[in-house]
Amino acid sequence: MRCERRILRYHSLKRGRVRQTWNKYNMFNIWRMRDKKSVIGTFFQQKWAAKAATRAYHGEHIKEKQWERMFSRRLLSAVNMDPAYMAKYDGSEQAAGRGSGRDVKPAKGKYPKPDLARNTGNAEGMTPYMQMTFAPQERRLDISVFRALFASSARQARQFVIHGAVKVNGKKMQHPGYLLNPGDLFQVDPEKVMIATGRKKSSKTESSSTPKTPAAEEDAEPAEEAAEAAEQPAEELSPEQLKSQHLEGLKQLHQHARKIIELNKEKLSGGHKKEIRELSKKIKEAMNRARKVGANVQETGDDMENLATLMSHLELTPAERAELRQQQEQQQAEAPAAEATATSPETTSSTPDYPQLRTRTPVPAAQTKFDRVESQILKRLLEEEKINPWDPSKPYATPWRPRPYMSVFAFIPRYLEVNPKICAAVYLRHPVARPGKTEIPTPFNLHVSQLAFNWYLRRR
Amino acid sequence: MVVKIRLARFGRTNSPFYNIVVAHARTARNSRPLEVIGTYDPVPKKDTYDESGRLHKDIKLDVTRAKYWIGVGAQPTETATRLLSMVGIVEPKHQKTPPRKSTPKKEKAVPAQA
Amino acid sequence: MPPRIRSSNCPPQQLLLNYLDAPLPSSLLPLHRPAVASSTPSLPSPCRRQQQTSSFSTSQPLEMTKPQREFRLFLKRAGKQFEKHEGNGPMYLSLAKPEGGNNTPFPSNKMFKSEPVLSSRARQMIWEAVMLQGMPLKAVSAQYHVDMRRVAAVVRLMEIEKRMEKENAPMAIPYARAVEKMLPRANLMGEEEPFEPINDVHVHSFTMQQLFVPVSESREFTRKDAAKAFGDHILPPDHKMRIPELVKMERDILSGVPQAQAEKDFLARTRESERLFAESQKYVAAKKEAKKLKVDTERFEFRIEKFNSQAVGKRGRARNAVGWRYGVPFNDRQKGLYKIPTSVG
Repeated sequence: MRCERRILRYHSLKRGRVRQTWNKYNMFNIWRMRDKKSVIGTFFQQKWAAKAATRAYHGEHIKEKQWERMFSRRLLSAVNMDPAYMAKYDGSEQAAGRGSGRDVKPAKGKYPKPDLARNTGNAEGMTPYMQMTFAPQERRLDISVFRALFASSARQARQFVIHGAVKVNGKKMQHPGYLLNPGDLFQVDPEKVMIATGRKKSSKTESSSTPKTPAAEEDAEPAEEAAEAAEQPAEELSPEQLKSQHLEGLKQLHQHARKIIELNKEKLSGGHKKEIRELSKKIKEAMNRARKVGANVQETGDDMENLATLMSHLELTPAERAELRQQQEQQQAEAPAAEATATSPETTSSTPDYPQLRTRTPVPAAQTKFDRVESQILKRLLEEEKINPWDPSKPYATPWRPRPYMSVFAFIPRYLEVNPKICAAVYLRHPVARPGKTEIPTPFNLHVSQLAFNWYLRRR
Repeated sequence: MVVKIRLARFGRTNSPFYNIVVAHARTARNSRPLEVIGTYDPVPKKDTYDESGRLHKDIKLDVTRAKYWIGVGAQPTETATRLLSMVGIVEPKHQKTPPRKSTPKKEKAVPAQA
Repeated sequence: MPPRIRSSNCPPQQLLLNYLDAPLPSSLLPLHRPAVASSTPSLPSPCRRQQQTSSFSTSQPLEMTKPQREFRLFLKRAGKQFEKHEGNGPMYLSLAKPEGGNNTPFPSNKMFKSEPVLSSRARQMIWEAVMLQGMPLKAVSAQYHVDMRRVAAVVRLMEIEKRMEKENAPMAIPYARAVEKMLPRANLMGEEEPFEPINDVHVHSFTMQQLFVPVSESREFTRKDAAKAFGDHILPPDHKMRIPELVKMERDILSGVPQAQAEKDFLARTRESERLFAESQKYVAAKKEAKKLKVDTERFEFRIEKFNSQAVGKRGRARNAVGWRYGVPFNDRQKGLYKIPTSVG
């Protein structure tokens, strides 16, 4: 295929063209758009200028010839008929008494009282037909993907389609110019959507937005890993040493968790992601250590539950610890014999259960246990970390955050029904104009749209 | 001249599509036939919302015309015989393909606990 | 044409000097400096000016243009609030305008408003009403004031979501949360305005003209007559209502049927209409299936559809003829003409 026309200075501040993107320069260009009160130039010049301005926004990546073929002078609109009115009148009341002094003033307000129910017609304002000029473009797959907030620009949406990240009705659709039919369901790869709408990973933006530099974060990570690696040879320790190490680790874990809660009590939405990340990592490590010691822990996968189990280990009295150690030794002695006799792997891997250990009340209860609020906070934070993890392998900044200035462009027109969780949307119907409002998202006012409509009308 | 029932290959590179045609044996493969009695799409397809992964192939066939041409002595080629035998117009040349068992595969026997 | 690079005017020493006394950083410059100074003849060293634009220039640009300055200023002041979305609700550019308002994403187009979307709770509610309580779509639509097509779409999307959850498929949960916070939402809890019009009637282009129809004063000129006046095939709005059962209910209430009873009848009628529709769909599907003969083999299922090869026109080139046609040119490889499917699924 022929190469697309490359536009230099797509978001030129000097020219001030408005585009279908979430760019901040574009935001500025939209913000400073002015309603031109005075008419400049001839009618032709006005139409030309309007066409140029509107086409820079509406399907700028579509070739002019293609758009001219797509353009339709038939503009769709709809009116809502009130069932109560339809039931009460058959329409003859509109003409009743005309010229004989029975004129009734039209009902004011949006929802007239039932006894005054009349066909309100244009009571909510004129129908902006002219804003529907570019309605045929909204049927295109790439533009619909952009409108559903799955891509940060129409061109990016187009790339997603071409690269095979978009499915229509469960089948891969690689034509960005596919015209959606009412009822079509399109679905974008969630990973692509996260890339498109998330913050960039570059160090420049990170350092400007957050006080913590990512470089420092990334430095910290290998250091941790190195420490972990250094711990590896310590596996050959005796059970007592292991046990004491385990308990020491648990104490540290507890302190760490408490610190996080303290931090978060003041500012719940604070960016303590790093601490939480470390905590969940440490919980996992502690679980591994506990398994080595031989305590009864299972792989539940839930950090909060794991933490609770681990904390219960901390509630041991010295006597119990001695008991535990004794049993540990017994098991160690039994293990080789069991290995020699038993053939099934289940018997060797099974760990003895200590129900009595967890039922005991702890001695330093106030220190070791988290109260309800604390545990809730901790649970929420750990869950958050699980859903939105820090993952350097991703092409966007993690944990995922929306890109700057996204909210300015966040709106979903009514002809789409979007489920952002699965990054899927249904094209319900063709966009229509209604009294007082249009469904086509366009930054141009009625006057400019009308001139553009006239431009395309001219050739038909 | 012998009249044959055969396939005429259309479609594009790597995406074949056949017309089932009745034609004189010595005419070119894709020349205008006596009659087009059907089509055969050999590319297996999945149903849109079918999760089982079962594939199907689409055939369109005018059964009465096919019977007529067989009746007047048209000779189906081997592939055409295979397709026509599915509707029961001609005897299958080779062994009959057994119909697929509709019952699901038996669960693998769980090894007894030691 | 003016010379692009006046390198001859500029001795190498001057270049070096330019490099050494580098201009001030742009942020330190006063804002009221003239924007474009290239035309001013009275520059202390014309050479320095000229070198600004050349591609191999070693010095930084002296100052920003006016739009650039305005842009920086905008980001610092009016646009500051938009950088990071905080709080729970939309943040549109109209906030930064003196007129205010917060539902027009494009300040110069007041006609386009960002209308609320269904919140995740509302979607769950609709799904429960349809899938768990088994309510007909029309009744759910009337209850929540949500378009019937949207109700169907919500259920369809929720079903996919639930299936994906079961399969542990990757989902964009943080994205969904952020987006939901940024959009205006409707919870469908009853206290708000109706979510959207549910009895849309398409405006036919024939009805957009003005007619002069003389009618006797004694005659009742109803909607039906008006439709007929516009054209013989134009339907009156009564026939185009999406939920005609609602009109029937209102009519019942007007004729004295108690509200509760009317609502009960409405539910029964919508249920009946849905059943009839489903049956007709099934009938069509069954009829289509009956035309097909299925032969199951070990590897594939052959679906044999019967058709009449005689009904393809005189030369076998009728539009409903089956198979690749003979004697018809194929334009599909022609330059600039590639065929996009018109429907999927």
